[in-house]
Formats: sequence, C-alpha cells, structure tokens
Amino acid sequence: MSGLFEQQDHDAGLAELTSGLAGATAATATQIRRPRLKPREAGKSFLFTFIVVIALAAFLSPLIRSVFVSLKTAEQVGQLDAPPYPAVHATFAYNGKTYDVYDVPIDGTTRSLALVTKGRESSKFVDPSNAAAGLITWQGSWRNLTRAWSFSPEWSNYSTVWNQIDFPRLLFNTVAIALIGMVGTILSCTLVAYGFARFRFPGRSLLFTILIATIFLPYAVTIIPTYTVFLKLGWVGTWLPLLVPTFFANAYDVFLLRQYLLTIPREMDEAAAIDGAGPFRTLISVIVPQAWPAIIAVSIFHIVYAWNDFFAPLIYLSTKPDLQPLALGLAHFNTLHYRNQAFIQAGTLLTMIIPVVIFLVFQRFFTRGIVISGVEK
Amino acid sequence: MTARLSRPGVLFAVFALVASACGGSATPLSASNVPVSTSSAVPSVAPSSGPATVAPGGPVEIRWYCCLGGGEAPEQKTVEDKVVADFNAANPNIHVTLEVVTYDQANGQLTTEIQSGNGPDIVGPVGIGGANAFHGKWLDLGPLITKNNYDLSGFPSNVVDIYKLDEGQVGIPFAIYPSALFYKKGMFEEAGLKEPPHKYGDQYQMPDGSMVDWNYDTARKVAQLLTVDKNNKDATQAGFDPKKIAQWGLELQRDDLRGMGAYFGPGTLASGDGKTVAIPDAWKAAWKYYYNSIWTDHISLTGPQFESKDINPKDYPFFNGNTAMSENFLWSTYGVADAGDDWDLAAIPTYNGAATAAFNADTFRILKDSKHPDEAFTFLSYLLGDASGALLLAYGGFPARTAAQQAGIDALQAQFTNPIDWQVAVDGIEHADKPNFEDFMPAYNESLGLVGSGGKYLTKWGNTAGLDMDKEIQSLQDEMQKIWDKAP
Amino acid sequence: MASVPVQPLIPPPHLDRRWLRRPSLGKSALARNEARWGLIFLSPWLFGVLAFTLFPMIASLVFSVTNISLAQDEPLRFVGLENFQRMLADPQTWESLGVTFRFAAFNLPIAIVVPFVVALVLNNRYLRGVGMFRTLFFLPYVIPFVSGLLAWQGMLNLETGWVNEFLRIIGIQNPPNWLQDTTLIYPSLAFIGLWGIGAGVIINLAGLKGIPSELYDAARIDGAGSWATLRNVTLPMMSPVIFYSLILGIVDVLQYFLVPLVLYNGTGEPGGSTLFFNLVIYKQAFNFQNFSYGATLAWMLFGITLAITLVVFRTSRRWVYYAGER
Repeated sequence: MSGLFEQQDHDAGLAELTSGLAGATAATATQIRRPRLKPREAGKSFLFTFIVVIALAAFLSPLIRSVFVSLKTAEQVGQLDAPPYPAVHATFAYNGKTYDVYDVPIDGTTRSLALVTKGRESSKFVDPSNAAAGLITWQGSWRNLTRAWSFSPEWSNYSTVWNQIDFPRLLFNTVAIALIGMVGTILSCTLVAYGFARFRFPGRSLLFTILIATIFLPYAVTIIPTYTVFLKLGWVGTWLPLLVPTFFANAYDVFLLRQYLLTIPREMDEAAAIDGAGPFRTLISVIVPQAWPAIIAVSIFHIVYAWNDFFAPLIYLSTKPDLQPLALGLAHFNTLHYRNQAFIQAGTLLTMIIPVVIFLVFQRFFTRGIVISGVEK
Repeated sequence: MTARLSRPGVLFAVFALVASACGGSATPLSASNVPVSTSSAVPSVAPSSGPATVAPGGPVEIRWYCCLGGGEAPEQKTVEDKVVADFNAANPNIHVTLEVVTYDQANGQLTTEIQSGNGPDIVGPVGIGGANAFHGKWLDLGPLITKNNYDLSGFPSNVVDIYKLDEGQVGIPFAIYPSALFYKKGMFEEAGLKEPPHKYGDQYQMPDGSMVDWNYDTARKVAQLLTVDKNNKDATQAGFDPKKIAQWGLELQRDDLRGMGAYFGPGTLASGDGKTVAIPDAWKAAWKYYYNSIWTDHISLTGPQFESKDINPKDYPFFNGNTAMSENFLWSTYGVADAGDDWDLAAIPTYNGAATAAFNADTFRILKDSKHPDEAFTFLSYLLGDASGALLLAYGGFPARTAAQQAGIDALQAQFTNPIDWQVAVDGIEHADKPNFEDFMPAYNESLGLVGSGGKYLTKWGNTAGLDMDKEIQSLQDEMQKIWDKAP
Repeated sequence: MASVPVQPLIPPPHLDRRWLRRPSLGKSALARNEARWGLIFLSPWLFGVLAFTLFPMIASLVFSVTNISLAQDEPLRFVGLENFQRMLADPQTWESLGVTFRFAAFNLPIAIVVPFVVALVLNNRYLRGVGMFRTLFFLPYVIPFVSGLLAWQGMLNLETGWVNEFLRIIGIQNPPNWLQDTTLIYPSLAFIGLWGIGAGVIINLAGLKGIPSELYDAARIDGAGSWATLRNVTLPMMSPVIFYSLILGIVDVLQYFLVPLVLYNGTGEPGGSTLFFNLVIYKQAFNFQNFSYGATLAWMLFGITLAITLVVFRTSRRWVYYAGER
C-alpha cells in the first residue's frame, strides 16, 4: 500500500458534499470533478475503497444493529427463534384467542398450522384455511417446529416515539442552548487562543499551564461548589449556568485553536501589520479565514457536546421541565420504556439526525482545507 | 401501570378508591379529565388549612422531590400535578412545587441539592433502602405526630414499626409491596405438572403422586422439569443442552443479594453488634441455591443471558414469557402483563420449614433540613390521606391502610384480563421479613456496592462457573468488614 | 497582502528549525504594547476563571482538609492531612492507580494513532466517496454516550452479541465473554473507546488540511517516497495536533471512569480490573457522599496529571514544530 499516505488534492468541495448526501452516486459525482485515474491507479483505488468499506461496516455494526432493533415489533424482541432483522411471523385468531402458526410436517407434506394446545409429547393444532375442521393432534415436539418469519419493518415505531417524546419543544430548547453556546465558545475561545498564540507577555506559559490545569480536577468533586455558585447567583432553574460560561472560554477549545493558530505562518499577520491593521483587524481578516477548519471543528464539537450534555441540564433544570433539552427528554423516555427496546433505539436514532445533518453541511470545510496560504502569493 | 390510567373505567376506580380510602370525604383527586361537579371542585382537602387568607410575606414554599423509586411516568406526573394543584388551591398559606428527577439520577441530584443547602422539604415515594442512602437526613416525625394527633391505628402495627429507627419515627406507612411466586399456568399444563400451592402451608403433589412440602428443594425439582432446551429435553433428561435453553424453570429475585436472601429467611447484615458483618445462614443458603440454579441445575438464566436484551429485554425474565416461576415483589405487576394472560400467584417456598416473603414499603419523608416542617407535615398528611388513593393507583402501590386494601386489590385486578388470586399477596404480608433486609447497615452506600443492585458479587456469580461458594461468601464478608471498619 | 515572502513558506522536506526561526523584535515599548494586547485577548478567560472556576477548585481543596460529608456524623472540623494519610495508607489507592496506568499504557497509543491513521485514509487520494466516508466515521460520535455504550454491550454479549455470532459462524465454538474476561477487558474497552473517534479524526483532518500543498510538491520534486513524505513533511507539520491529542489523551485516560461506571455499576468487575482511580473518586464523592475524601483523591489526581503534562510540555520543545511561533 505504497500510496497510503499520498494526500488528496484540494478540490471537489461541493461534489463531496453531494456524494455524502447521495451515497449511491458517490463514485460518479466525484469522477466528474476529478481527473480520471490511470487504469492501474483505478484498481488501486477500488481495492483501497473496498478495504475501507469493510472496516467501516465493522465499525458501524452496532449502529446497524440499533437500526434493526428500532424497526422490530415489541413482540419480536426476546423471541429466541427470531431473525436479527425486523420480521413478523404468522398468527391465527381462533375462538377469540391468537395463536402462532408453525410449519408442521404431516404425511410427508408441510402444512402451516396454528398451535392451540402445547404438549411435551403431542400438541393440538388448527388449520387456518379450514378452522371448521377442528383441532388436529400431532405427535411430536412443537419446539422442534419452525415458525416462518417474514421481513417486516415496523416504521410506526418512529412516529410513536416522535409523539411520545415532546420533540418540538425539546428540539427548540436544545437548538437554542447549542447555538448560543456555540457562538459564545467560538467568540471567546478564538480571542483567547489568539492571545496565547500571537502575543508575548510575561507569565504567558504559566497562564497557559493554569488554563490546561483547569481540566485536571475531576468534575465529581467540583460539581457541588459549582452548583452552589450558580445557586447564589440565582441562576438555578434557568439556562444561564449552561450558557454564560461558554462566553468565557474553555481549556479544550482554546488549546485546540492555539495549536492551530501556531501552525499558521506569521508572514501574513506581519504584512497586515505593516499595512496598518490593528490586532483585531488582523484576527478577523487574516487569522480567522485561515483557521476555518479548526473553528468549524470547535463548532461541531460544541454542538455535539451540547446536544448530548445530560448532567449539567439535569442538575440546573430539574425543577423546570419546560426548559429541558432533548438529552433529558430522551433519558426520561428511556427509563419509562425500558421494556421496549425498539422504542429506545428509535428514540436514540431520531435524536441523532440533526447533528448528523449539521455535520454533513459543515464537513465541506474540511474538503476545502486552507489553500489561502498557497494561493495568495 | 403506565398508559392504563387513561381508561375511563380505571378512572372511575380511582374515584372509588379515593372515596373508600379516606373515610368517605369525596375529593376531586382523580386524573384531570374526570368530570367533577363545580360545587365540590375546591373543597378543603387538607386537615389544617385554616382560614383562607395568605400569610404576610406570601405563602410558605414547600418543595416535593420525586422519584427515588418510581413516579416519573407522564401519567403518574399528571396525577401528581393534580394532587399538588388541589392542595395549593385549598391551602393559600402553603405553595407546593413538584420536582421530578428520573430514578437513575435522583440520588445524585438530591445529594447535590442537600449539600448546597438547596434541599427539598419532602421526598418520596421512597423505599426503605432508598431512604437509607440518606441516613441521618430524615426528620423524626414523632413530635409532629403527637402535636397533630395523627392517627396511626389504621395501619398494621408491624408496618408502622418498619419506620421506627434509631433516627426516630422517620415515616408513616403509605404503600406496601409483599412478595409472591409468579408462575405461568400454561407451562405447568404443558409439562403435565400440578400448579404450585396458593396457600402458605399447603403441600405440593409431585408427578408421581407423592405429596411433599412446598419448599425450595421441591421448587428446584419442579423447575428442572420446567426447564426445556430447543430439542424439547427438560433439565432432568439425558442429552439436555444447557447452551440452548428455550424456557427456564425458576428465577429468584436478583436485584439485591440481601433481598434474594430474605426469601429464604429474614435478617440483616448488621444483626450482630452493628459493627461486625454477620451473614444470616438462610442468606448463605439462598446464595448457594442461586449459584447452583444457574450453573448446576440450569433452571435460571446466567449473567450474560440475563444481561442480553435479546433474551431478557424487559427487566425481568418472567415478563418475557419464557420463565415458568419467578419470585418478586408486588410492584412487579407493572410489567407482568407482558408475560401473557396465563400467570398467577403462588406461595413462596419454605426454607427450613418457614416461608418468608421479602417485603418492600414506600412512603414520603420530610428532610431534617426543611425550614418549614409544620407546613411540610400538613402536606405529608394530605399525601398519605386524601391524596393517597389517587397516588397509590398511579404508582401501582398496595395500600398500607388495612381498610383500603380491598380497594387496592380491585384496582390491581382491573389492570388484567385474567383473574389473579390476590389473596396470596395479602397472606404474604404475614410472612414479611422482619427485620427488613433493607435496614440500615454501616457505610450503607459503600456496602451496597458489594450486595446491592448490580453489585460486585451478584455480577461475578452470574458470570463465572466453577466458583467455591463458601470461599466467595467468606470473601464478601471480609470485604464488607473492611468497609465497615473504615466507617466512622 | 501581496508582499508575503514566498520562500520561507516552503521549507525543504527535511525541516531545519533553526533556519526557520526569525530574529526577535525585542524593543521594550513594542513589547509592552504586545503584552497589553495579549492580556486583552485573554481577558474573557481570566474573568471566567475568577467567576466560575476558581471558587469550586479552592472549595474542593478546602474539603480535603476537613471531614465534610453528607451525613456529617461528627461535627465539621479541620482535620489537617488526615485524609491524605488515609489515602496513602489505603491499598485501594495504589491498586486503582495501577489499574489506571496499565490501561493508559494500553489505550493511549491507540487513542492517538488510530484517529491520525483514519484521517490519513480519509485524506488519501485513492479513496472514492470521501464525503460519505467522513460522515459515516463521524456518525457514532453523535450517539449519546450511554446509548452507544449499551449498543456495544449488546454487540459483545457472550450469547447473543453479533461479535460472537460472527465468531461462531467462522467456526469458533466457544467465543470469549469479552466484557467479563480479565485478559480481554482492556482490548474490549479500547475498542469501545474507538467509537468516539469522530472528534479525533476531525482534529487530525483539520491539521492535515492546514499543511500547505507546496510542501508536498517540494517533496515530490525531491523524489521523496510516501514514507519519506510522511516522516519529513506530514509528521512534523502535524506535530502540534499530535501534541494536543497527546495532552488531552493523557488527561482523558487519567480521568477514565464513565464506561466502567455504566458497564459494571462501578464495582470494578471483572476481578478489580476496572476499578480506575477516577472511579474511586466519583464513588467517594457522589455515591458514598464522602466529599472530603473524594476531594483528597481528586487533588492527588490533579498533582499526577500536572506532573505528567509538565514533563510532556518540556519535551515538546524538541519535537513539536510551530510554523507561526517565535
């Protein structure tokens, strides 16, 4: 695999996005935009892509399993003879009760009969096509018979879950918390990271160490004093404990952005400075355009974090169900529907949709990369 | 019990239950869509509401914290909201707010609130074990009971005594949950076996016609006949394949090792001087029986089977319909309908000649740190009195008040299409374990890590074949002793 | 912005750091001005630390020298270093630190290398349908933590998990009990951890996209092969990102506890192999409501983390290359 580390050309931004949305046409979409590969290279490309597909299938198998489970009927889950995919088996209503239909070998042929009375040595069946004929006694073990399962996804699980979880309200809360927090995080972390990456001042490395050290103490021991702070501020029962701190930067994102800013050569800021730009203008017109991939990464991280954050909304919003985000609603739903695996999986998959769409939209920035440094010579 | 509350017939039962449970003072404490005549919409429901004027400075704020053990379902919350609204309407001097935190998180959240000085006033419904997680934090209700002349004579005295602890009288009975043996009639029929006895003390007729005591040895033999593999061989037959079991014979209560032990005999781990771990002999026998059920007799699910959502998707294997017998508390009626419509209740088998039906009890408690204990007690009296009928039904609770128990049975039966012999459960109250298995022990929360729900030894025994159980039990005892020695 | 010099942007494939270093300005008025701007940009964080972070940290430090607990069986008092003595004398402290470090040694390299390699794969010109792959690799990162964990618990179940079903199909009759076997537990946990790979891949991809293509062109002209290009261009240019992954990887792995808390209820099963140090902290502080001892353990972890990261920071001067540093 000598070509493993050869880099992609910086092209095909939008085509990539389209191919992500319409997976089936991926190959065509990209090939139109790209120069054709030589036959030997095309073979290599096919092999390489094939290996990645295999790895990906293994990687995503729990998710595939979740999708299967989410489409099962409550009845199928827990049936030991059921197939892994969503399926139903035939039943027959007889004298006001429902009985399972089995494939019964009788007189050299296999008939589909409903099992009415179970027995260890012999059992009684009824023929759904001729119920009037009454019960048929069959000698043998019903446990050795098979039921015919047929593929049948229960799509209504999703609509049931949608109706049971108050999605519109929870979604509104979640999106609001995530977006406001994202704005706060990007603004504050970019400023602070810029300060650390581009300015020299006494105590800089000490302050940077302190910044990183703020994440060294496990939250289990700071949660009660933190709660007390917000309680004294009168913020418990509001979104403020979730939102205000995002405007004051956090170590993870500042560190990430600082690392990225440090890889951007200084020649362009210096040129801007010579042109008379102040630090703020340099930040906005020179640094930010070059740091897009990192800023987008931070945005995605914050959205996913806020989307799934469970603990903070729980402790600060436990008295205010109307203000709670989706993660709490989902957790609540899961405790109530613990016994219906299909609902739990459907609920989880539903909550994933929006973050995945956001990623699909944002990921084009990674394809594009930063070519500015090379272009603007 | 979720989702059934919306049925009009059951709503009527709520109404009837409320009427019967609180001595005839018909109150509108049913779910919100029950038609209530306007004239009785705002009756004085609470005992000491006094004149309807708001105290200077506004009403006293009381916070009710819910769900250290059930009560968070939307239907339940509807009832709770209604109960709170009615109380607030009738008591202008007190304003109650409800805080619902789901069971998984309720413990940590309450810890945070109490330690930050933001604790609620009243907590519940909470079981004995759930409350012991906050040992020392509960208010002794004794002085308030005396002050308000609260009448405790309507409860069985042994149930009142459950709440008489070193901390004082920390609770007044509300809901009780005796145990019984849940079993599937159809499986007994299919195997050609007699059903287990419904009356404590009755004998059991084995397939060969002999009459034997209904003890754990008998239960094991019957369970083996009811354990069947995919090839239709039961667990007593040659060629039985324990790797391909399709139906299991018996499931003990495996939420908590102490509870599992209590079905064999009453006791606590702190029964000695309170500082030395003493495991009751009956519990040791129960744990060995459990281990053999899994690994030798194959009548119970192994740990991995129990944890598999494909084999056991609904909390308890019995709910999935392929377990023949299962010991459990009466609260497990919430999911037992999933097992089909051929289940019933039978007597718990005896161990050493005596039957013990492990006992759970829930109530509401007031926190010591409450700034308004008098108002909290007013609300507590209301929850245990006028509101109790609606709440018990919503929680699926069995009334602790003797007089209300028939109404409780009727409400339970209304949830099922098959007739159940509820008298078995009522008889179980007499066989309740005393002392209760959830009673306080030193370093309660830390000790639970060994014997409690999802605890270390329960997990290990369910996952590992070939252990020496005497050694295991000794190791549990030693490990717990170390924890107790560190406790202040 | 036409005056940007081209030459220094394209260092030769074999980077010479001394050559890249620019002379410092070193004028005091300018320096003061620069310092002022630096602090202005830092001010949101400085204010946030004072407002929200400092008090809880100090409070937990104070907890560690008192006997504060929820039950408060004895009156609240100052106990000096009693809690620290108890910690040093408790064998569980050392056992759980051992567990944490053993797992760290196993998991940290995986947690750093795998996202880097996946990012390289997703950045490879032979891969077709990159947008789709990128999204699919990212997908599990979006799944709520506990849901993802339960999904893996289902996958790895001894009897019904797909992993063992697959092993049975290919002829392995007695597949292992992945999550209950002390010899397999760390590989299983590391594997589960890979499901959150999405964030690491994004960070690495952002880094790869930041490498100017001129460097690769130069390498190609020099006739460097793939491995030489990786070693002499990609790795040095990615060193700031790798450094970041390393520091956060260390902090994460030292604070690892949520997975064993959910999977084993914090019991440390199988056989004590998942009794991580931070799990002990969590249980003391939250389950056992013993805030003072929990805080004591937490500050011990703080000290360990600080010591390790400081060492890594020291060494970073030798291997991390910042194009924009001076």
